[in-house]
Parts: sequence; C-alpha cells; structure tokens
Amino acid sequence: MTGLDDPILPSSIAWGLLIAFSILWVVLGWWLGRHNKTAEDHMLAGRNVGLALATATAMATWVTANTTMTAPQLALQLGVWGMLGYSLGALGLILFAPLARRIRELMPRGFTSGDFIRLRFGTFTWRVFLVVSLIYAFGWLVSMAMAGGVLINALAGIDYRVGMTVILTVCVIYTLLGGLRAVIGTDFIQTIIIIAGAAFIAWLTIDKVGFEAIHFNLMEERPELLSLLFPAAIMFLFNNLLFGVGEIFHSNVWWSRAFAFGRNVGFRAYLLGGLLWLPIPIVAGFIALATPALGINVPAADMVGPLVAAEVLGLTGAIVVFIVVFAALASSLDSLLAATSDLVTRDIYRGHIRPQASEQNQFRATKVIVVLLGLLTWLAASYRGSLPIIGSLAELLYFTGAFVASAIWPIVAGLYWRRANPQGAAWSMILGSGIGLASYFLIGFYVAALVGAAVSLAVMVLSTWLAPRPFDWDRLSRDAAAEEVRSA
Amino acid sequence: MMISSTALSVIVVVATLVATLTPILLLALFIRDWKKGCLW
Repeated sequence: MTGLDDPILPSSIAWGLLIAFSILWVVLGWWLGRHNKTAEDHMLAGRNVGLALATATAMATWVTANTTMTAPQLALQLGVWGMLGYSLGALGLILFAPLARRIRELMPRGFTSGDFIRLRFGTFTWRVFLVVSLIYAFGWLVSMAMAGGVLINALAGIDYRVGMTVILTVCVIYTLLGGLRAVIGTDFIQTIIIIAGAAFIAWLTIDKVGFEAIHFNLMEERPELLSLLFPAAIMFLFNNLLFGVGEIFHSNVWWSRAFAFGRNVGFRAYLLGGLLWLPIPIVAGFIALATPALGINVPAADMVGPLVAAEVLGLTGAIVVFIVVFAALASSLDSLLAATSDLVTRDIYRGHIRPQASEQNQFRATKVIVVLLGLLTWLAASYRGSLPIIGSLAELLYFTGAFVASAIWPIVAGLYWRRANPQGAAWSMILGSGIGLASYFLIGFYVAALVGAAVSLAVMVLSTWLAPRPFDWDRLSRDAAAEEVRSA
Repeated sequence: MMISSTALSVIVVVATLVATLTPILLLALFIRDWKKGCLW
C-alpha cells in the first residue's frame, strides 16, 4: 500500500474535514451518553432501541471501510462476481434476524455472546469461543484502522500513521463518553452520509463514463472480470457468504445489539438492514470496473475506489469519498470498540479476573478497556509492515475467515438444537479454525471460511449424533438473572 | 460466458436506485419513531 505521488485532496481541506467531523462525533457522543449511569446503560443503551436507529446501526456497522474500499478492490481483482459476492454479505444480517429474536427470548437480561456460550456450553467451549471471537475482533479493528490511514494518505498525502491515529482517537473518545447510545446515535447519521455519498459517486460515474464504455474497455483489457465462470471468483462468492454469516452470528457487535434493541425490534431491524445493505457493495464496487475506460493506473488494489472517484469527480469526488469513508470507518470502529470492550469486561475481567465485580466496577472497567483496545489497535496498525500476516486489507480481513466461519454452527446449534454436544461445539471451532487456516495458506484467502465452516459443521453434527446432551432452555434466563442479582 | 453490457447496467442501476432511496426511508422511520416516542 503506497500513497499517490500527487494527492487529490489538498491537505488543508482534509484537515478541515477531519477536524469538523471529529468534533461533531465527539460532541454528539458525549451528548447522547450524558445520562448513562450504569454498565447496562453504557453497554446496551437502555435495552429499548427503536426500529429506525436499530436498522441504521445494523447497516452502518456492516458498511465498513472494508465495504467502501475492499468492494472496489474485489471488483478490480475478481470482476462482477467480486462485487456480487461481497453484496452476499447482506445474508449475514438477514439470517441473523430470527437469531436476534431467539436470543432476546432466551436471554432477555443477557449482555454478551460470551454469556450465552458459557451458560449454554460450559467453561471450556466458552474459552475457545473467546479466543475465536477476540482474534476476529482485533483483526477487524486493525483492518479498519489501517483503512483509515491508507485513505487519508491516498487522498490527502497526510502521513499514514497520523491519519490512522486521528481516526482511532476520535472513535475511542466518543465511544468512551457515550457507550452504545453514542455508537447507535452517530451510526444513524453516518448511515445517511455513507449511502447518499456512495450513490452520488455511482450516479456520476454512470453519467460520465457510461456502461458501454466500461464494458467495451473491460472486454479489451480485462475480459476475465466480466466472466461468469471465473473459478476463483465463484469460490470467493460462497466463501464471502459464509464469512459474512460467521462474522455476524458469533460477534458480540451483533449480539449486544440483539440485547439492546426493543422487544420485537431485532427481527425487523436485521431483516430490513440486510435488504437495504445488499446493493451497497455493488454501488461502491462497480466504479472500479471503470478503471480501464478511464485509463487509470492503480498503484495498489485497495486504493482503487478513492482513485476512480477523484478521477471522475475531481475535488468534489475526493471530498465525498473522504467523508464517506471517514463515516464508514467511524461507524464500524465505534461499534467494535464498544462491543469488544463489553466482551472483555464481562467475559475476561468479570468472568476470569474479578468474578465479584459490581455493576459500577464493570462500568469503570469497560471505559479503561476501550482505551486499551484503542492503544493495541494503534500499535498493530502502526507496525503493519512488520507483521507477516498483515498484507492488504482484504488479506487481513479474510485471514480471520476461518475463525468466524467455524463459529457459525456452534451458535446455531446452541440456539436451536436442544441436544447439541458442548464438547463438540468447542472442537468444531478448534478444528474448523485450524483446517480453515491451513487452507488459507495452502490454497488461497478465498477458501478459508468455506473450509472452516464445512469442518465445523461436520464436527458439530457428528459429536451431537454420537453423544447428545439434552439442555433446558429456561436455564439461560434463570442463570443470567441470578448472576445479575449477584453483581448488583 | 461473459456478462452483457445490458445485464451489468441493470444490476448496477437497480442497486444504485435502492441505495438512493434508503436514506429517505430511514429518515421516514426516524420521524415515525420520534412521533411515537419509541426512538430509544
């Protein structure tokens, strides 16, 4: 990832936008979270979020810098199937809709995905799940921080580390001040900005370049990008589908929202959010297909989106892309910081270090953990070149694919399958992740999730078939309520 | 087997149209929730 020789946005404008939006998010975060008094207020926004805010936060969180920057990258590398495959990530949100309803029914007073795994499957499986979940969360955090630095460097020539530091710091501050209420409130505005901006760039690209010119030039220079039988791309499509499902099913980002949304809101919010998210990678990714028609030389694949927008729209395009990606970064970084700090607070601090921690202890701990997470992310994103696994954004993102896909079946079985075997759930994650990772290195990034999910499914089904363990669903709400009383 | 220019344009135009209407739908939902007092 290298910067451009000639930045397309004057650094004075970039700094102006950075400062203006940073102040907006921080002030809004503080204002929205000013009445938070307990860990529950901070972590779950009062447990009664309505449909509009719920739908927007589901969409905004799922539209990451990876969507706005990796979708064009994948369109450039894998063609039509690249952008269509990425849009299938929406199925994760859509399929999570019934799970969100089930989660809320089974654990009306739950806090984290870790709470569920511990009460449903026991300590061993819970610890395996925490490893999987935290590796993924950290990989996602680092990939977004990297995207922030790359974007600012590509557009305005501001040093990668300076831009990344600014974005990360702003998100840490407003998440710290307002908790989930700040995250969800800012997500609403960020969703409007992201989608309106992406649609604006797409319409102007269509108008300026035209489909005939795009298609003709692709046929001349990169015909494989138009092929419907591009094997790696088709493999990627299924891999991405499973990756998206795995990310959403296991991650506390989505579970904490299931706990925070009002009664009967979760199902509708995830369903609507998924349907409205579906076209976004196509809108964001399609502009990369215009590079041959525009004669753009792309120095690094993950910079293609900003490059095309700036080429087509000049200064306006550079400004719009800058604002859109800043909003996309913030909307996901804040969600992940909040949800991961909740997971660490509840499942590591309270679960392993201080079991008797009171509600107020947890309230304070979650704030300290947000800052620590921000620092760790900054360190990893600062020294990305020194870490062998961290290459391009897409490579980093899909490295975590084996982990998340291996968690799909334990979650589904845990929620719906009364006789699911707890040890089987742990081993399905261990073997799914291990063999999925081996396939990442031996075959390619586009098969890690596919293999991880297949192995995990086989282990889950086989273990439960050989040694079923009946479970009483009422235990979940009963045990969660009893734990809450103890820590009050 | 290649995707035609027409098929590509239909996919992209429909996607962009939905994306254009989404902010309007979200704002309408926000106003509805606000009026009913169920934003949070």
